[in-house]
Amino acid sequence: MIRVENLYKSFDGRPVLTDVSLEIPEGHTMAIIGRSGSGKSVLMKHVIGLLRPDRGRVTVDGVDIGRIPYGELRQVRRQFGVLFQGGALFDSMDSFENVAFPLRTFTSMTDVEIRREVEDCLAMVDLSGVGPKMPADLSGGMRKRVALARAVALRPRYIIYDEPTSGLDPETSNTIDVLIRDLAERLSVTSIVVTHDMHSVLSIADRAAFIFEGRMHWVGTIDEMHASTDETLRAFVKANEYQIGMPHAPDLP
Amino acid sequence: MTRNRSIILAPAVALGSYSLLLFHAFSSLGEFGSYRKNVVRQMVRVGVDSLPIVALAAAFSGAVTTVQTAYQLVSPFIPKSIIGAIVVPSMILELGAVVTGFILAGRVGARIAAELGTMRVTEQIDALEAMGLNSIGYLIVPRVIAGVVMFPVLYIAASFIGIAGGLFVGHAGGFVPAGEFIDGAREFFQPFDPVFGLIKSFVFGFIITSISCFKGYNTLGGAEGVGLATTQAAVISCVYILIADLALAATLL
Amino acid sequence: MKHSNELKVGLSIITAAIIFILGVRFFEDLPLFETTYTLETEFDNAAGLIAGNVVRVNGVGVGSIDDVYINPENNRVRVRFHVDREVPVRQGSHTVVSGFDALGVVRMDVVLGSADSAKVPVGGFIPSREQADLLGSLSEKAPVLIDRMDGALAQLTSVLETTRSMLDDPDGDARQALASMRGSVGTLDAMLRAERDRISSILEEVDGITSGLNRAMGPDGDSLAATVANMNAVMARLDQTLLTLDATASGVNELLDKVNRGEGTIGLLVNDPGLYHRTDSLLGSLDALLVDFRANPGRYLKEMRLVDLF
Ligand SMILES: Nc1ncnc2c1ncn2[C@@H]1O[C@H](COP(=O)(O)OP(=O)(O)OP(=O)(O)O)[C@@H](O)[C@H]1O
Ligand SMILES: [Mg+2]
Repeated sequence: MIRVENLYKSFDGRPVLTDVSLEIPEGHTMAIIGRSGSGKSVLMKHVIGLLRPDRGRVTVDGVDIGRIPYGELRQVRRQFGVLFQGGALFDSMDSFENVAFPLRTFTSMTDVEIRREVEDCLAMVDLSGVGPKMPADLSGGMRKRVALARAVALRPRYIIYDEPTSGLDPETSNTIDVLIRDLAERLSVTSIVVTHDMHSVLSIADRAAFIFEGRMHWVGTIDEMHASTDETLRAFVKANEYQIGMPHAPDLP
Repeated sequence: MTRNRSIILAPAVALGSYSLLLFHAFSSLGEFGSYRKNVVRQMVRVGVDSLPIVALAAAFSGAVTTVQTAYQLVSPFIPKSIIGAIVVPSMILELGAVVTGFILAGRVGARIAAELGTMRVTEQIDALEAMGLNSIGYLIVPRVIAGVVMFPVLYIAASFIGIAGGLFVGHAGGFVPAGEFIDGAREFFQPFDPVFGLIKSFVFGFIITSISCFKGYNTLGGAEGVGLATTQAAVISCVYILIADLALAATLL
Repeated sequence: MKHSNELKVGLSIITAAIIFILGVRFFEDLPLFETTYTLETEFDNAAGLIAGNVVRVNGVGVGSIDDVYINPENNRVRVRFHVDREVPVRQGSHTVVSGFDALGVVRMDVVLGSADSAKVPVGGFIPSREQADLLGSLSEKAPVLIDRMDGALAQLTSVLETTRSMLDDPDGDARQALASMRGSVGTLDAMLRAERDRISSILEEVDGITSGLNRAMGPDGDSLAATVANMNAVMARLDQTLLTLDATASGVNELLDKVNRGEGTIGLLVNDPGLYHRTDSLLGSLDALLVDFRANPGRYLKEMRLVDLF
């Protein structure tokens, strides 16, 4: 269980997050939505301890990860899989090695086992055969999917996806959405999905959290979001819907 | 983190964070096993791949020293063998290490800073951390070890090739016969000289790789930040090579 | 053929280590692979010998000095050195320091003993023979010599000055004394002319030596030692000459003492303008020599100076 309490974070005196509280129960998928620059990625980096809160705290299974020693923090992080917004593939390694990297580093698998595992992961994101390609030779969407394969390779308990479907065509987006939902259901992974894509939110998330002006403006289930009368939230959701122009957009009141 | 550090405190802060970074890096030496492959790869890049350019520069500095020493020795009272007695210790004491140092500050230092800087701005370092790796140890330790191990190797190659270059040009150019050159060198040979050169190259290897890692690891901003870090790594490494050169000469000679 | 990274790194480190060890041994003039043939010797004065200097036999470099230190037992200079294995250093051999500290070329020569005696064992001891630091003693001696020459000539001048003032005194009764002096002064004149020629011929010789020195600095620096020894001898001769000059001046002094004590008749001199002129011209020539010498001693000593420069 991940819990964020009264998180405050500023950069060079400019506050980005002023008061964010959030609770993600075990096995749930939380969508975090908000406008560009609202601090979604900053929030996500707090959850894995890459950034330390100025005020407030982040606990994972009750452990305040802003206050534990580095060695323990690393142990906590090993339960996480993280898909960074830009993919963050290691550009000195080919795609295969990128996915194999966590396996080589943290498991004692043999080369054969690793090969099988990596190929499974790449097939999962619809990228069988790109193993020998270097990240620089991949399209942006492919890079993101290789990064996703790497994030899930160790079958982590928690997965954080920072905009997993942005920049992908609708069909691949759907594949990814299905994958995320599948992982959540089959492996009872606890997930945080940072996204702009309302379609993703609706198809994968149990709950959504809307960050606005540095604060947790609204948190609730998808049904509650549909029913919400909050003007800011409705404006965001509607704008998103038009912008994406989805053919099968769910009916919003 | 405040940007408006006082001018007086800035160097102290820089030194402090540099030292902490290195401390952090080397306190993870316990995990050396997982760095081993990386160390070898860095040794190839720092050492083996630098051999051609170092050899070229060393051969020319040896040759130029010989020609210029011959040019300055106009007195008929001074035996020609003095050329060997000047060129060989110059190469062993100073040029072998310093020429190699300058070349590697440009070649290796800039490369390390660019590599780590790019990893920083494309969140690859965050990705390593998020997996639960000690990114400082993982990235910095192999590079610094490669520097301190391979730099003496390059120094020996540079001294050898530089002396050979000087000998060849001296002989072929009619400045001093090879036999006299070697006699002169032997006459004034101090066994401590090559040891001192080795110490120097060891220190230079540490300076270049550690400063470049520091600059690269702490890169801010995007491509511009990487460019800045790269330039600074090369320039600052050169400056500290000169300072260390003087300090070592003052303390050990 | 693809080499693994490990292989590349390992090979380069091993190669570097081999180059380092062999290179140091090479420049230390140690045999690259064999063990060394170490010997020891002792000097009263090492004359600037240091570790690394060449050891030669009959002018051939056969090894080098390993260590030079003061032997605390007898306060002499203990020198450890090594020579090539093939060099037959037998009993009866001795060592000599040669070369010039001032020029930075000091070496040690091993003079081999007769071929039928036993070989000196590894680590064995060879006695030494001293050889003075030729150039050093030469450059030390030169200023002393010059001072002495200067002193003698100054004395001569003052003596002759006194003579002149006495002769200028018409009331003086120096006539008789000067009569006896007539012959002496004639001799002195002749002698001084002769000596001047000799001095200049000596200096010419020095000039010749210097060009010899010049040649000696070339490829075969061996003759340098001989040349300087030669030069030393010349300086000794110059010294001799100046002693004679000194004695002559004392002679004149003695003579004038006699004149002063009123022995002889001064009238003799007054009535003898020939003698007066002779003395005068003698004074002039002496003065000229002295003035010239004082004004530019370099002309007489430049050759020596060249040597001093090192
Ligand atoms: N390391 C940092 N140093 C300084 N400012 C930062 C840093 N990281 C983020 N910020 C600032 O924090 C704010 C929020 O950034 P963040 O990346 O969290 O936005 P986001 O909500 O993820 O936007 P997007 O949807 O476009 O990714 C931005 O204004 C950004 O400039
Ligand atoms: Mg973001």
